[in-house]
Amino acid sequence: IRAKDVTMPAKLPVNFFSTRSPVIDLFRGQLDYADHLRQDSEIVLYFFYAPWCGQSIAAREEIEHVASRLSDQVLFVAVNCWWNQGKCRKQKHFFYFPVIHLYHRSFGPIEYKGPMSAVYIEKFVRRVMTPLLYISSRSKLLDFLSNYEPGVLGYFEFNASPQPPGYLTFFTSALHSLKKDYLGTIRFGVITDKRVAEEISLVRSGSVYLHRHVNTSLIYPNDIMNYTAENICKWALENREMLIRWLRPHGGKSLLLNNELKKGPALLIFIPYNPLSEIHPLLDEITKVALEYHNCNKSQAAEPDLQHLGDTDSPAFDSSVPDAHMKLSETFSITKYPCCNTVVLPQWHSISRTHNVCELCINQTLGVKPNKVHVPHCNFLEIEAALDSFYLQEHTFFQVISNTIECSNFLSFYSPFSYYTACCRTVNRHFLSFISSEKTIFQTPKVAFSSHGKKGNTQHSIPHIEDRNCFIPDLHITGTNITGLSCRTNKTLNLYLLDSNLFWIYAERLGASRSTHLKEFAAIVDLKEEVHYVLDQNRSLVGPTLENFIKNFSILYSPLKRHLVDDPSVHFHEQRVITEVTTNTFHDTVFLSEKNVLLLYYAQWCGFCASLNHIFIQLARLLPPDNFTVARIDTTQNDLPWEFMTDRLPTILFFPHQRKEQSVKFPEDISVNLPNLLKFILHHSRLSSSEPCTKECLHKETVLQQGHISHLEREIQKLRSEISALHQAHDQLEAQLSEARREEHRLQQQKHALEKQHKTLQLHSERLQATYDQKNQELLEMAEKLQELADASENLLKENTLLRILVASREGRLQSKDEIKESLQSEQTLSEENDISVSTATATLEEKRIDNIDTIETEHSSGNRTE
Amino acid sequence: MLPLNHDKYSWYQILFLPIFFNGILTVHLPVVGGLLSAHLLSKKAGVEVEVGWPCSGPLLRMAEEAARKLLPAFQTPTGMPYGTVNLLHGVNPGETPVTCTAGIGTFIVEFATLSHLTGDPVFEDVARKALKALWKNRSDIGLVGNHIDVITAKWVAQDAGIGAGVDSYFEYLVKGAILLQDKELMSMFLEYNKAIKNYTKFDDWYLWVQMYKGTVSMPVFQSLEAYWPGLQSLIGDVDNAMRTFLNYYTVWKQFGGLPEFYNIPQGYTVDKREGYPLRPELIESAMYLYRATRDPTLLELGRDAVESIEKISKVDCGFATIKDLRDHRLDNRMESFFLAETVKYLYLLFDPDNFIHNDGSVFDVVITPYGECVLNAGGYIFNTEAHPIDPAALHCCRKRKEEQWEVEDLMREFYSLKKNKKFTLKRASDHGEGERAKDPEDAPSEKGGEKRNFKKSSHSLLSCPSQSFNSKLAVLGQVFLDNT
Repeated sequence: IRAKDVTMPAKLPVNFFSTRSPVIDLFRGQLDYADHLRQDSEIVLYFFYAPWCGQSIAAREEIEHVASRLSDQVLFVAVNCWWNQGKCRKQKHFFYFPVIHLYHRSFGPIEYKGPMSAVYIEKFVRRVMTPLLYISSRSKLLDFLSNYEPGVLGYFEFNASPQPPGYLTFFTSALHSLKKDYLGTIRFGVITDKRVAEEISLVRSGSVYLHRHVNTSLIYPNDIMNYTAENICKWALENREMLIRWLRPHGGKSLLLNNELKKGPALLIFIPYNPLSEIHPLLDEITKVALEYHNCNKSQAAEPDLQHLGDTDSPAFDSSVPDAHMKLSETFSITKYPCCNTVVLPQWHSISRTHNVCELCINQTLGVKPNKVHVPHCNFLEIEAALDSFYLQEHTFFQVISNTIECSNFLSFYSPFSYYTACCRTVNRHFLSFISSEKTIFQTPKVAFSSHGKKGNTQHSIPHIEDRNCFIPDLHITGTNITGLSCRTNKTLNLYLLDSNLFWIYAERLGASRSTHLKEFAAIVDLKEEVHYVLDQNRSLVGPTLENFIKNFSILYSPLKRHLVDDPSVHFHEQRVITEVTTNTFHDTVFLSEKNVLLLYYAQWCGFCASLNHIFIQLARLLPPDNFTVARIDTTQNDLPWEFMTDRLPTILFFPHQRKEQSVKFPEDISVNLPNLLKFILHHSRLSSSEPCTKECLHKETVLQQGHISHLEREIQKLRSEISALHQAHDQLEAQLSEARREEHRLQQQKHALEKQHKTLQLHSERLQATYDQKNQELLEMAEKLQELADASENLLKENTLLRILVASREGRLQSKDEIKESLQSEQTLSEENDISVSTATATLEEKRIDNIDTIETEHSSGNRTE
Repeated sequence: MLPLNHDKYSWYQILFLPIFFNGILTVHLPVVGGLLSAHLLSKKAGVEVEVGWPCSGPLLRMAEEAARKLLPAFQTPTGMPYGTVNLLHGVNPGETPVTCTAGIGTFIVEFATLSHLTGDPVFEDVARKALKALWKNRSDIGLVGNHIDVITAKWVAQDAGIGAGVDSYFEYLVKGAILLQDKELMSMFLEYNKAIKNYTKFDDWYLWVQMYKGTVSMPVFQSLEAYWPGLQSLIGDVDNAMRTFLNYYTVWKQFGGLPEFYNIPQGYTVDKREGYPLRPELIESAMYLYRATRDPTLLELGRDAVESIEKISKVDCGFATIKDLRDHRLDNRMESFFLAETVKYLYLLFDPDNFIHNDGSVFDVVITPYGECVLNAGGYIFNTEAHPIDPAALHCCRKRKEEQWEVEDLMREFYSLKKNKKFTLKRASDHGEGERAKDPEDAPSEKGGEKRNFKKSSHSLLSCPSQSFNSKLAVLGQVFLDNT
């Protein structure tokens, strides 16, 4: 018997990592010691695990791998955060395991939420180790800016003090960004060289710059937002440009793909990606296409970036690149701004013969949907507001600027949502006379502007308020060119990257070949239209093919064909009763075959389909195989052209021979069983053979009859086996019958034996009855005797009373004869003694009677039992 | 599956020892299911079967005998059975009339199978009557409570949800509909499903609500509820199933098992309900969903379950119930469903080629004295104790006999060129077997009738929707929202 309420405590924790591992394993959850360890190392990685957790066990190896590579710089501490006696469990409350926390000195924890794969973890740890990249030269700057991922640059003058003001905040914001943006898409860099900083028009130490390729790059608005690590990080996250995005589903429940794909058609590019690798030629090529695609300005502004991208592997490209080229690198024509106004600033000095001339434009980056055809209007109020904001900041534009034009952005004084761009240059005084033709200043292609751009779409010239000057943008659309295509099409694509080492399953489900070893794949998914297109996997995934793919998608009469995923695991079996159809064999099996085809649409998971399997097997076995094919298609594994898709499963379609285009559907409200299916087929296959009988028909008839004969033969075969089964059943029954008869016989015998036994028992009972009667008689006699005894005792009692009376009378006599007292004294004592002896005698008699009754009763009950 | 003992009478002895089964129905019903399943699988297991198999056999007779002993429980004014019946004397005089909903609605799979195999309709009839009585007594908003008085038909426990006390009722409506191709059962389920979605579903969780008002009474998730996603996948609601499954999986990740009750707003276990007796429901759902989606996340749950069971509950003589998931203290017991269900579903999750997953590409042909039958063509229906039932066997023993001569006549038509005959298809009645749907009052259309009729005309109730385009990408935790 099981003891209840006996419980056993959980097993004591043991080592999770091997003792030789570079990871310190605090398997008793010593969180206090873990905190203590943190003081010794600049970078610490905590791996909080639960020993029973599959994901922790799977991640253990990966962590060990990273630890073996970084153990000299990073302290790896694993803490069992499950054991309920441990400090960790008592202090931390995790909803999942493992949890990875990183600390950079006192900053932390930074939780790692990326894929549990060694390369990704290592990359992240390295980012925490060096959150800032040091941009010491122009080439490094160019490198930094050419990256497709958004970059934030801070310029800090280290000459004045070892830790210039704001630097620490900037550093922290870089760390902070890793908390929010665990994929580390935003890179942080720091410029220490003034001349390098000037390349991106940063002049003041402490300014922060967000680089963008297509949109205008931004400068952190110190005056509007407080200069804190969180704010910088937030600002960068909000304003970053995502020309192409990595998708890294974390494995838990998530709407990531839902949210991204609902934005519109998406190009998903699957490439194997090693985050630790220094060079990614394929990725560079793809991002080059992405930049081109989004570059909506005809001025080829992004060109230098792209050139640089293409040259990353050429070592000749370094800081020796001439300045001019550098300048050009961030060039844009101001013409793209639809809403501009020229402002001539007052003279800096009265003696100065120069003026600063600024082009003030409203930067409508925000609030304009990129793919919507939108004609921006130059609102009078807007320009007024822009001018107001400009004049408030006028002083910043007073200093003498070189011959080149420099642009800067500033936030609107009124609304945080609009930016203005002011591009200024110093001109000679006499120039002002030509102010009406400042177009020449700003539009001469030679004149360079600092990096500013805007993802506009249609640009219309709007008259200026002050001088009614207009810039007419080049509206020429180059039909086959990918540059800026995203703005010229109404089928704008969002571009996404997926690491095929982690997410190849999505590619497979979109139709990527399962056998290929090269895991490169590209597909355009349009969730709204429920279609997807696939880049031919036989062609290597390179820039031009990708460009063509995008172009083909964008043009009006797209040559792309909806991709139909097909189940590669199905192989054609001739001997199968039911023909398994796939996307690829659909046409051949259904339309090209010379037979009537009954096609079942099914899915393995649908209960209503699976329970019909046996009916279709029977049907297929019954129908003459020369004229009929029973086929089925798994719609989960196989896509079909629109006209052959169904919305419910199971669906049964019949394609009559010679009229395959006139397929009929088995009515849904009719139950699917063999007779109904046969009737359905008969009803619809009939009409074809209603022509008058010819020679051919006769031939047909013979074939048919032959079929009938073979069918009947099969039937006979079946009946034969049925008969043999019946024989067997007969034999079985026979055997059972004889068994039963034997049993009956045995029972009969048993009955006889029982009857005999019954008789003897009856005899025995009679005998018992006799003895009972005898005993009864004896008892009665005994009772009589007792009665006699009782009577005798009663007589005695009577005598006793008589004696008493006698005694009383004598006493009376004595009283009368007082004189003779002495002689009578002795007589009284005698009579008392007599009285006692009589009463005892009656008592014993009564006892005896009770005993007798008892024995009678016991005899009675024993008699009952024997009966 | 019950082990097929060579000494077949040993089971018989155990089954009818009154001391062993002191008349408790919920212990008894699995025996019927187990015997039926063992009967149907006996040939595959290598047992020499008698000629009339699958329509006769020693195990089938045992099942029938066992089921007959349960019939007295159904003799109530409502037709809903008592929860307990003494196998020797029938219902005890002082028996409580309060029965849980699941105890009333969990007969149809076994009893209909029994009726089809043996030809005696009494079992299916009582099971259907009980189901209809429950249906009739649902609340105005279409929900059923937890416990009901089978004499007065008053709801004793009015908490409505999908878990303990109701779970297998819903399960058997769906499985019964599939097994018997029965529209009536399915329409009942669909109506319930609508009410459940309306009143109990929040953020892909299912809560407990008051059955008349629909107000939330317990914001908990019960371990027993985890069968629901699997059930949804059987009728094609794969998207919703996966979303709910992912919610449940987060609870597993938190504790290494599913606590009997999990307070959703607090994100923690409920007092006195912290145990995990190695229940199968979540793994069962993972198995069904893996069939539908092939999502590796589901195998990941399988991996986690194996690790948890090995690391936490393995003791010298078995696998112990986890008494408390907060500290993984173990209880001194191992539940029967651990071996019968949990391990079985885990095995099937990792064995996609198992004959149980047969998609109909292989089958057996069996010659019976009544004709030829196609068996083991897949589509097995698991009863609530994970005993598989072959729907083809039901067809073999009843429908096939009825249809045989009609099919023979029709086949003759295929070989004749004369086309004088017109073939019209008979509309199917709601009922699995048309002739016995005589009680129009009980038909589910009595309440929200018009709506249902409209729906019926748009598509068959006995079908699943095709999977949407975005299901291609709905793996590795990604879920999609409806466009509506």
